Formats: sequence, structure tokens, C-alpha cells
Amino acid sequence: MITINRRKLITASAVLAIATLTVSTVPANAFNPNMGSDPGITATTIKLGITSPLTGIASPGYKKIPGAMKAYFDYVNANGGVNGRKITLVSKDDQYIPTTAVAKANELILRDKVFALVGTLGTASTKALTASTQLSKRGVPSLFVNTGWSGFADKQAYPTTFSILPSYQMEAKIIGKLLKDQYAGKKLALIYQDDDFGRDALAGFKTAGVTFDTTIPYASGSQALPATGAGWITKLKAAAPDVTVFFGVSSATTALLGASVQGGWIGKTQFIFGSVGGDATTIANSLPALVPLLRGSKGLSFAPAPTDVNDEYIKLFQTIYAAAQPKETFDNNVVAGMSNAFLAVQAIKAAGKNLTRKGLIQTIETKGASLPHPFLTPLGYSTTSHVGATGYWVGTYGATGALTPDGGKYTVYTTDSGTGAVVESTYKRPAMPAKGLPN
Amino acid sequence: MLKKHPLVTFIFFGVVLYLISNRLDELLVYQGASVAIFVIAIASLILLTGYSGQISLGHGALMCIGAYAAALLRIHYNAPVWLTFVVAVLAAAVGGALLGLAAARLSGPYLAGTTLALAIGLPSIANKFSIFGGEQGISFDIGLPPASLGEDFTQYKWYFWISWSAALIAMYWLRHVLNSRYGRSWRAVRSNDVAAELAGIHVGRNKVLAFTISAGLAGLAGALLGMTISLVSPGVYPLLLSFSLATGAVLAGVTTLGGVMIGAVILVAIPEIALAIANRYGGSETIITNLPGLLVSGLLILTVLLVPNGPVEQMHARRAKHAKNGKASHSPVELTLRVGSKTFSTKK
Repeated sequence: MITINRRKLITASAVLAIATLTVSTVPANAFNPNMGSDPGITATTIKLGITSPLTGIASPGYKKIPGAMKAYFDYVNANGGVNGRKITLVSKDDQYIPTTAVAKANELILRDKVFALVGTLGTASTKALTASTQLSKRGVPSLFVNTGWSGFADKQAYPTTFSILPSYQMEAKIIGKLLKDQYAGKKLALIYQDDDFGRDALAGFKTAGVTFDTTIPYASGSQALPATGAGWITKLKAAAPDVTVFFGVSSATTALLGASVQGGWIGKTQFIFGSVGGDATTIANSLPALVPLLRGSKGLSFAPAPTDVNDEYIKLFQTIYAAAQPKETFDNNVVAGMSNAFLAVQAIKAAGKNLTRKGLIQTIETKGASLPHPFLTPLGYSTTSHVGATGYWVGTYGATGALTPDGGKYTVYTTDSGTGAVVESTYKRPAMPAKGLPN
Repeated sequence: MLKKHPLVTFIFFGVVLYLISNRLDELLVYQGASVAIFVIAIASLILLTGYSGQISLGHGALMCIGAYAAALLRIHYNAPVWLTFVVAVLAAAVGGALLGLAAARLSGPYLAGTTLALAIGLPSIANKFSIFGGEQGISFDIGLPPASLGEDFTQYKWYFWISWSAALIAMYWLRHVLNSRYGRSWRAVRSNDVAAELAGIHVGRNKVLAFTISAGLAGLAGALLGMTISLVSPGVYPLLLSFSLATGAVLAGVTTLGGVMIGAVILVAIPEIALAIANRYGGSETIITNLPGLLVSGLLILTVLLVPNGPVEQMHARRAKHAKNGKASHSPVELTLRVGSKTFSTKK
């Protein structure tokens, strides 16, 4: 038990009292050196911060994103920076655990004193860190979060956060159009993750007016159990759908492909994979032998294909990345990271020489939609919405897991997260600035 | 003083913490709140393992129950903050009592396995029912600090105050319980359950009670954790958290409540120390990511080898030995019972 005798207590009290007094003599604002201008910015530097899973369950694939961003920032720095300022990126590992993400975001904002956050990953982590660190009250911009949850585009709820991915609702509506145009009268099945992610998609399918003959929900995480994948195949065998839409995460896609091999049920249905679950790199990281099974399946993307060397952005990104990370393969996660960094640099440039946090947010709201960017869809930034890309193109997977656009060219469909129609986009993105540099 | 005037001592600690909180930067205040949460969580585990002799590898799940109860009450009924914490304690205690009923019939690896299964299985339940918000969880927003505290009063300082108030009250109360008849009964059960039963202690009932109280405390810690990160989701209470608590309890010394602060501070400070070391040696990402685990494992091994009962217990043992040489020490109550040729004793 706790026993402290009188002498020990007096000693302890004295030590505590001295410690308290010592701390009391330090002026309170000694800990707050940035009283005037915004933190993380000087005449020659800008400090940005990212927290993402570098280790843990979600790290395969995603862990390349900070490195890819850094590769582009370094390229810009080597060519004079942006508005005379060089960018440093502080990267932290949150293991995809919300508690850790909050702790790391606190370190970035309060200790590293970053100017803005960029590219934080995961809906739960981003929700938690935005609320707990009070980004909006502090006025810290959170640029281009890597999650498709439509809530982050809501300016009222998240005034300093900007999304970059199209929402899951938009994606479902575009898949809905594909089903109506190309598979009318066919037997349809849907496998989806039964949470916010999957329910966003359900809402989109409902708006699109698609009715599935068979729907198979699964609890997030249950894909790790062999029985789950086997259960899907049993149900699919019984229903025998012509087309099966799969709206889950990549580990669930791996489970589905594995179970279809074990159940001897390959090539019996036309699979359409949502953009999250169709990440061939992540599947290859866990079971490379399954990747060829993707061949012939349909998938969606809003960025140019990583293999498309005719695209000026892909060509530039490949060159930069090969120099910075010669041992790593260039894939869609690298494209995502570098595109994110590219857009951040363009926004910072547009915000001008007298860069402030407030000014940067206003710039993205007013000029964001017209900034140069690598994506093939329009950007939706405005004074009323913080939504990023607003559509997808549809393609077919090859044996290496690469997605190539159907018909040999990108046919982009664009829509919104509400009841708006899905239309074929005539959008032409702005030309890439010389050498992909901001100045 | 702690023995004679425990209330005064706890109030004294509270005043010191208050003065400190006014002078620390925001990041340290946030970490200070985390220490308070770990103090409660580790204490709940020490009560269970050190005092009643039961093992739990699933305390993260009990924290999760408390947190969901608090957050749901806040969202759907806009309940006052203090009430959400009370309900968190009650909800987790009910969960703990149910688990305790099973636990009282199990021991050793079987009990460890059962509690581990709870830690693994509970998040799936959160995903199953939409009221829990699935993988993304539900928000737990306690609102801004009262305006009367001034404009400079930050949200994290508010969390710090709430967490430490809860921790001090919980520790004060727990100290009383452990010094009461219940605490003595639990220790008797831990030392030798047959002897305890023969002395008239209802072993099963006492084990369930210990589990219930421990779970209630864990629920409180869980709700506080949800509060500091404004979110309650399965990812906030991973298996890793349950293991960290067990680690903290071993570092603190499982048989005494006195070291609980040591365990909590170490858990919060290790990543900081690791970062400082890594930065000194070039700041490589691999080192920053892996060093905390290495340091914790190293400390665990050293603790088990050098001070198996924890640093505080070791200090007490040394002092008792010292006192014995000087003057006669008061020996704790021991009970020895002889049945036929067998001897049962509460003496370790």
C-alpha cells in the first residue's frame, strides 16, 4: 500500500513546490512564440505536415504517399521553390489508429508548428484529428484529405478542410449509369461494406435508380475471416448474377478473389470494382498471385492511369519519382501523393507572396476550381463547397492489375453527391505549367 | 500524511496539478490529460490483477463499452458531461459483471483467452449495428469550456481538468475500497483462494465484484479517452491498447497502486523519448517508428528481471527490511489453517 512518512512527504512537497514556482516564473507566452504571423512560414520556407499509416494494417500501398509527396516538393524546391519559399514536409506515422492520428496531428500543429496539414488519410482518423485539434478554431488549413467521405466537402461542418477524392455517392451514381447503359436487363448483384462507406454508395445507387437482384452486405473487418469470402461465393453461385458490383476495401477484394479460386467460380460474372477496392498494388502486396484474376473486370479512376506515358503529368511524375525513389514501383498511390502535392503547390502559389492560412483557404475557395491539376475531372471547389474531383472514367483491368480506359480514351463522367444527373464531361483540364513547376 | 489525511493529500495534488496546467504549453497539457486517463485504466487493471488475482487482456473492450455509452447519451439525449461519465462507469460495470460471472469460473490462460476474445470480438459488434457508426464511429463532443474560465482557457486544458479531476476522485475512492474489508478479501483470494474460502470469504462473489469495479473504472477511462480525441470508434480501442495497459501495469508493479503514475507516465513519455533519441541520430523514419516498441520491451524485461513487483513495491520491501532491523515491524494479518496433513496459508 501507499505509505509515505512525514519526512518523505515534506521533502516531496518541497520539491513539488519548487518545481511549481520555477514553472510559474516562466512567462506564459514563452511557449507561444508565434503571436504575430501564422506559424510554419518564413520569407524563405513553408512547413507542411502529414499523418498517415506508415506501419500497421493499412500501410501496404498507402505508405508510399508521403514519400511521393516529398519527391514532388523536393523537385519544386530544387527549382526555386514556390514564391521564393521552399517546402518542408513533416511526416508522422499514425498506424491508421484515430487516437494516434490525433496525437500526431497535435505534435504537427503544436510542436512542429506546421503551416497546414496536407493529405491526411482515413475517414475516422481525419474526423477525429479535425475535431480534437480544433483545426477550424485554430484556422489551420487541412488540404486535400485522402478520403471519399462526402462529409468533408461540407464547408459549414469543416470550414478549413478540403477534400480531393470524388465522393462514394458520385462513384455509385456513375457505376449506376454504366449498369443502365451497358448491362440493361442483366441480373445484378452487389457486395458492399455495411458502414458509412458502403451506405454512402447505397444512397448513390438509389439515386441512380438501380435495383440489384441480390445484395450481400458484410461487416467491416469480417473479410479477414475465411468464412466470409466463402459465404459470398456460395450466395453468388445460387444467384448466378451476370454482373457483380463490389463496393468494399482492397483486403475484401483479396478475400473475394481468393474465395472465388477456392470455390472454383472464376469468370462466371462480370465484376465491377469500386475505386477503393480495386487497388491492385494493395492486393499484390498481400497475394500477388490473385492480381491476374482482376483481368477483364471493370474499375474506376479519376486520375490518369499510372501506365499512361502519353499523359504529360504521368511522364513528369515518373521521371521525378524514379530519381527520388529508384527502388520503388510507380503506381496509383504514387500518382495520388504527387497529384496531392502538385495541387497544394499550385494553391500556395495562387495565394501569393503574402501567404496566410486564411488567404490560402480563400484562394482555394475562389480560384481552386481553375488551378492546374493532373486529374481528368473538374474540381468542385467554391465558396460554398469544398469538394475536390467530381467524377470518374471507367476502364478494364489487365493481367498486371493496370486499369486502362475503355475504348482507348478517357470518357469521364461527372456528377454531384446529391440528385444531380450523371453527364459525360467535356472538361479539358488546364495545360500543365512548364516542367510542372509553379513559377 | 497520506495514511492519516488522504483527502488533504489528494486535494494538495489537485492544487499542484492546477498550477502546473496553467504554465504548460498545449501539447504538454494534452499529454498530461492522457497520463490521467492511463492512471485510471492501469489502476483498474492493477485492482483486478494485483489485488484479486484475475487476468484481463481485454480491458480495451471494457473502455470501449463505457465510451460508446457516454457518446450515445451525449448525442441522443444531450446529457450533461458529468452524467455521461457516470453512465460510462455503470455501463462498463454491467459489462464487467457479466464478464466476471464467466471469469469467476476460469483462471490463468483460460481467463486470459476469454478476455482476449472480448477485445477482438467487440469491435465487430460496433460494426454490426448502425447506431455505433461502424468503422468511422460516432463523435463525442463535450462542448467548449465554460465561458467563465476566460477566453484563454483552451479546450485541452479543459480536458486536462476533467481527466485529472476524474483520476483523483477515482484513485481516492479506490484507495478506500482497497483498504476496506473488500480489498482485504480480494488479497486473501489472490493469495490462496481455498484458505480464503475456509475463512468465510465467498470467492466467486468477490471475484465478480472485483471484475465489476475494475470494469467500471476502465469504462471511465474509455469515455475520457473518447472525449480527448472527440471520437468513439472501434479503432480507438484496438487490441494494442489492451496490451499497452498490461505493459503499463507491469511497469507500475501489479501488486501496488502506488506505482500507477509511473506506468502511466512511461506509456505517454516513451514515444517522446524515442523521438528525441531518433532525432539525435539523424531522425530516420525506421528508427522513429520502431524505437518506442523496442524501449517498452527493454523496460519490460528489465522490470521483470530486477523489480518483478514493480519499483514502488521494491522500495517498500527495502524499507520494511530496514525498519525490521531497527525496530519491531507490524506484521500483516496472516491466516494459516491445517486440515489433516495439508496446510493452507494466506502468507505468500
